[in-house]
Amino acid sequence: MALPISPIQIPATADISSSIALPASTQPSGDFRGVLAGAIQNVEQTGNAATKAVEGFLSGNGQELHSAILAVQRADLAFELGLQVRNKVVSAYQEIMRLQM
Amino acid sequence: MATGLHEHRFMLDPLASKLEHYMDLLSARQKLVASNIANADTPGYKTQDIDFQAEFLNATDGAPVNPVEARGLAVRNDGNNVSIDREARLLSENALRFSIATNLMRDQIRSVKMAIEEGKSG
Amino acid sequence: MSLFSLLSVSESGMSAQRARAELLVENLANAETTRTPEGGPYRRKDAVFETAPADTPFSSVFETQLGQPQGVRVSQVVVDASDPERRYMPGHPDADKDGYVAFPRTNPAEDMVDLMGASRGFEANVSAISAVKDMIQRSIDLLR
Repeated sequence: MALPISPIQIPATADISSSIALPASTQPSGDFRGVLAGAIQNVEQTGNAATKAVEGFLSGNGQELHSAILAVQRADLAFELGLQVRNKVVSAYQEIMRLQM
Repeated sequence: MATGLHEHRFMLDPLASKLEHYMDLLSARQKLVASNIANADTPGYKTQDIDFQAEFLNATDGAPVNPVEARGLAVRNDGNNVSIDREARLLSENALRFSIATNLMRDQIRSVKMAIEEGKSG
Repeated sequence: MSLFSLLSVSESGMSAQRARAELLVENLANAETTRTPEGGPYRRKDAVFETAPADTPFSSVFETQLGQPQGVRVSQVVVDASDPERRYMPGHPDADKDGYVAFPRTNPAEDMVDLMGASRGFEANVSAISAVKDMIQRSIDLLR
């Protein structure tokens, strides 16, 4: 369990998606960037919610245990998803780089 | 319940949100059952409950749950109307339903996780 | 913390029923006690229950979801103030000048029934604790 969850470090690839020159017919760069941005935002938001929920439970403000645990699970899944998306982006980039050699 | 917690409902929804709400209500109900049992011999005490169906259909969670007086219970001489049998039954039922909900939830989490990891290869 | 507050509620129930049972046992044991340190025969004692907010050591006073969790406590012990039962027993060491002995006004049959009730009430609170422990454990299992 990663708490607190730190944001995925992918500044480089975020720039890359706009500079990848793909043939027009296979140009998904707009959607792709959107998916990426969404994944990052998802990780941040679920991560914050999880931290807040766990703190709420520990401080005894009425936060239910099962809610806090679910918030943590959501954050974990978002992180996992974000990780997979990033890996895809990185491998796509590497593929492109190799093709250009 | 901490406010704002239910704002970020990504991942797992919409089933998980319903299950979570269900579990919230079961917990609230169980708290009242415990109070009823503790006050089973308190003069004047009236059995408390929540209108489960209504609360569950009213899907805006994070809203406080309203305890109501249970109806149809016989009142004894000292004004108390707690039925230990009713409370014992509710105690078991709430715990059982909670267990069903957590199992369904675990399943859901596992499915999503698998779906994410499915995309790993290729 | 909501489910955890349930533990305090049930605990208060257990304490109250136990206190009640202790008084009932005392009544039963002293059904024939004609002499007490305070003078006179034993006088029956009754526990009076009252709803009381349960102790929530790990959470704030304001349980936002349902309001203060309602436990129970013994608000007072009522000592029977009625006149003792007088029986004619001239040879008894506690007999007064007329030969009457003052005996406690107790009702052992009723006290026995109440004792069973207190025991049942106690067990019901124990079950409540057990049920909520199960629910908490299952919440934790969601992490697996």
